Amino acid sequence: MRKPKNGGVWMILPLYLFTIAFVAGPLIYVVALSFATANEGYGVTWSLTTANYTRILEPVYMKTFVQSFQLALTSTVLNCLIGYPFGYYMARLPDKQKKRAMIAIMLPFWVNSLIRLYGWIIILQKKGMLNHVLQSLHLIDKPLKILYSYPAVVIGMIYVLLPFMVLSVYSSAEKLDWSLIEAARDLGASGTKAFWTVTFRLTMPGLLSGIILTFIPSMGLFFIADILGGNKIVLVGSLIQEQMTRGSNWPFAAALAVILLVMTTLMIALYRKLTNAKKLEGMGWE
Amino acid sequence: MKKKKSFFARFYVVICLAFFYLPILVTMFFSFNSSKSLTRFTGFSLRWYNELLQNVEISKAVYVSLSIAVMATVISTVLGTITAIGLTRSRKIVKEILLNVNNMPILNPEIVTAIGLMLLFSSIGMRKGYVTMLLAHIAFCTPYVITSVYPKVRSLDPNLANAAMDLGATPFQALIKVIVPLIKEGIFAGALLAFTMSFDDFVISYFVSGNGVKNISIVVYNMTKRINPTINALSTIVIVVIIIVLVVVNLIPLLARKNTVNMNHRLHHVIGLAAAAVLIGVMIWLGAATNGKHVLKVYNAGEYMDLSLLEQFEEENDCQVVYETFESNEMMYTKLAAGETYDVLIPSDYMIERLIKEEYLQYIDWNLIPNKKNLMEDVQNKSYDPGNRYSCPYFWGTVGILYDKTVVDPEDLKDGWELLRNPKYKGNLYMYDSERDSFMIAMKALGYSMNSTNFDEIEEAYQWLIEQRDTMDPIYAGDDVIDNMISGNKAIAVVYSGDASYIISENENLDYLTPDQGTNLWYDAMVITRDCSETDLAHAFIDFMISEESALSNTEEVGYTPTVESAFEEMKEGDYAGVSSYIPDTENPNNEIFGYQEPKVKQHYAELWTKVKAQ
Repeated sequence: MRKPKNGGVWMILPLYLFTIAFVAGPLIYVVALSFATANEGYGVTWSLTTANYTRILEPVYMKTFVQSFQLALTSTVLNCLIGYPFGYYMARLPDKQKKRAMIAIMLPFWVNSLIRLYGWIIILQKKGMLNHVLQSLHLIDKPLKILYSYPAVVIGMIYVLLPFMVLSVYSSAEKLDWSLIEAARDLGASGTKAFWTVTFRLTMPGLLSGIILTFIPSMGLFFIADILGGNKIVLVGSLIQEQMTRGSNWPFAAALAVILLVMTTLMIALYRKLTNAKKLEGMGWE
Repeated sequence: MKKKKSFFARFYVVICLAFFYLPILVTMFFSFNSSKSLTRFTGFSLRWYNELLQNVEISKAVYVSLSIAVMATVISTVLGTITAIGLTRSRKIVKEILLNVNNMPILNPEIVTAIGLMLLFSSIGMRKGYVTMLLAHIAFCTPYVITSVYPKVRSLDPNLANAAMDLGATPFQALIKVIVPLIKEGIFAGALLAFTMSFDDFVISYFVSGNGVKNISIVVYNMTKRINPTINALSTIVIVVIIIVLVVVNLIPLLARKNTVNMNHRLHHVIGLAAAAVLIGVMIWLGAATNGKHVLKVYNAGEYMDLSLLEQFEEENDCQVVYETFESNEMMYTKLAAGETYDVLIPSDYMIERLIKEEYLQYIDWNLIPNKKNLMEDVQNKSYDPGNRYSCPYFWGTVGILYDKTVVDPEDLKDGWELLRNPKYKGNLYMYDSERDSFMIAMKALGYSMNSTNFDEIEEAYQWLIEQRDTMDPIYAGDDVIDNMISGNKAIAVVYSGDASYIISENENLDYLTPDQGTNLWYDAMVITRDCSETDLAHAFIDFMISEESALSNTEEVGYTPTVESAFEEMKEGDYAGVSSYIPDTENPNNEIFGYQEPKVKQHYAELWTKVKAQ
C-alpha cells in the first residue's frame, strides 16, 4: 500500500505557523510576562520574579478570587439546572422542531451581547419592567433593588453562558440511544432510576463540558459585573481589566490570567479523567 | 402520560426561549418610544431611528463590526479548512499538539486570549486599530472552524484524494473538486460559527483595538453608562435584518422546489450575488463617511462635550474629528503611554502636570488662539501649568456631596464629609469610582492635605475608606450616577460640581454641598500632544472651543462651569441661577488643586484603592 502523499505539507506549514503564532504565541508571552516586574509608571523590566504571584496571595486579591469563584459556582449550578433539562428536551424534539430550537438559540448571538445586557438594565432597573410587573401583581410593595446587585450579575452570567450549556448537553443527549432506556424500563427500572443510571450517566460528558465552557470563563466576564453590577462585584476579570487599563501593571494582570489558564487546564484534565474521553462534548475531535 | 410529559417539555423550552428573547424584545419595544424614558412608553415615534442614522459613531461601528466579521470569516474559514485537512495527514504527535493548542482560545476565558493578543501586538510595536482587530478576530475564529471541519475530514476515506490524483488531478484540483464538496457541511457550520463569534465579540476587540476603531460592542459598552435609546433602534434593525435573512434562506428551497434543477442553481447564484451586492453596498456607504480629509483626533472624558460642536467644527474646517472618550485620567495616560496617538487631549490638572513632566505635550502657540481674551482670570495661571504654556482651560469646578433634601437631615450636613459615614444613610449612597477623589475625601475628612505623601496619613485615609465601605455599603459608580440621582435611586452621591448642576436642574429635590473641611478644586484643560500631526487644526480646535458661542452651548449641554467669562455670566443668571454647584468656591482656604504624584506614591495609592474596592 502506498503511503499518503505528504507533498502538501510545506504548503500548509505557513498556516500552522499562523495558528501557533497567534494562538500559542500570546499565551506564552502572557506566561513570560507574569514573571516580569512592572516599571513605576509604564512598561516592564524583564527580571525574573515571582512577586506577581505572591501578590495574588494577599488577602484582598484572594477575596476577589473567592468572590469570583462563588459567583461562578452559583451561576454554573443554575446553568446546569436550567440548561440540562433544556438541552435534554431539545434532543427529544422531532427533527424539524429541533432545527427551529437550534436557530432560536443561535439567533440572539447575532444581536450584540452588549445590547442584550443593556436590555437587562431596562428590565431590572428600579422603575423597570420587572418591578412594574411584580408590583401590579401585588407580589411586592416596594420596588426591588436588583440592578447593580449580586443577583443582577448572576442573571447576566446565566444569560450569556446558558446557550453553551444547552448546546453541550444537547449534543450528547442527541447521540443517546433511547432504546437503552426502554431496555432499562423493560428490565424493571423505574423511570427515575432509568434516568439516573442510564440517561444521566450517558449525558454526563455533555454536562461536564458545559461546565468547563461556563465555569472558568464566567470569572473573566468583567463587563457583566461592570454593566449590571455597577462596580460592586469585583471579578478576577475586572481586576485584570483594571490592571491592564488603569493600574498599568501588566505583569500582575498576566499573572492573574495565568491562574485562570491553569484552572481551565486543571478542569479539562479532571474532565478527561472522569469521562475517559479526550474530546469535549460538542467539540469535534477525538 | 406521555403526552403530558411532552407538553411540559415544550412549555419548558418556550419559557427558556422567552428568557433569551426578553431583553431583545424590551429594547425593540422602547426603540419606538417618543421620549428618552426607558420606563414609560410615552408614545410611538421613529425619533431614535432618525438619530441612529445621523450618529456617525454608530454607523462607523456597524461598518467595522460587519467588515471585520466578513473578512475574519472568509479568511479563517479558508485557513481553518486547510489546516484541518492538513492535520489529518500529519503525524499523530503533531496532530495532538496542534489540536490542543487550537483548543485553548475556545476553552480559555476570553480575557486571557484578549490580553495575550494585546500584549503580543504591543510587544511587536503594532499600532492598535483596524488591522490588529482583524488579526485578532482571525486568530480566535480559526480554531472554531478547525473544530467544525476536522471531524468531517476525518470521516473521509484518506484514499479519495490519492484516487483523484492518480486519475490526473493536481493536488489543488483534488482538494477543490473532491474533498471540499464532501466536507461542505462542516465548512459551512464553521463559517457560521466564526461569523457569529466575530460579530458578537466584545472582550477581545476591547483590548486589541484603539485609535478610534470601535465595533458595535465597544460603542455600546461606552454608552451603557447613560441612557441612549439609539441603542434600542440599532438592536431592532439588527433583528429585522436577521429575520429577513432567515426568511430568505428558508424560502430558497421552497421556491426552488417549484422550478427545475437548473433554475434552482441559477436562483441560488442570483440570491447569493444579490446578498453580496447588498453587503458590499452597505459597506461602501458606511465606509464613505471617512476619506481624504484632515483628521483631528480628540480624546476627552465621557459625556463631557456638546457633540454637535464637533460637527460644526468639521464643517467649518472641512476636516474630520475622531472623538474618543476615556473613563479616567489614568486610563487616558495608559493609552497614551501604550503608543496611541492623539492630537488634542482634555485631561485634568494633576495629569497635565504629569504629562508636562514626562514630555508628552507641546507648547500652545497663543498667537493662533485669538479667543484667549474670552477666558476668565480665575482659571488661568494655576499651579499645574504656570503661565498656561501647555494648556487652555476647558471646564472647572469642585467635588462635593449631592444630597436629597427630602431625605437628609440638615443637621447631618454639618458633619461635612463625615456625612458619608453616617449609618443613617447606609446603602443609600454613591461614591465616585476614582482613586484620587476618594482618597481626597478621606484626607479632607481627617484634616490632611489631599496631596499628602506621608504614608501614615495615607494609611489612615485608607482605613477611613475601608470603614466606610464596611459600614455604609456604598456603590463605587461612574457616570451612571447621573441618571440614578435624577430618578432618585439614592439619597447621597459624591459628584463633580458640573454633574451636580445638571442633575439639580433635572431633580429639584437635590442640593449640593462642598464641605468646609475643603475639597478638590479642579481644572480640566485642552492640551496638544507632542506627536500631534495637525498642529494648525489642533490650535483651531482649541480656539473654536473657547469662542463665546461654543462655550455657551457646551456648558448648556453638559452642565459644567465654563472658563469663558460671557458664558459663565449668562448661565449664572439664566439656567443655573441659584444652583450652588455652578459657581466653584474659590474662597475656602482648605480647597486644593491636585498635584503631581511621584510614581512610588501613585502606585501606593493605586494599590490601596484596588484593595478598598475589592474588600
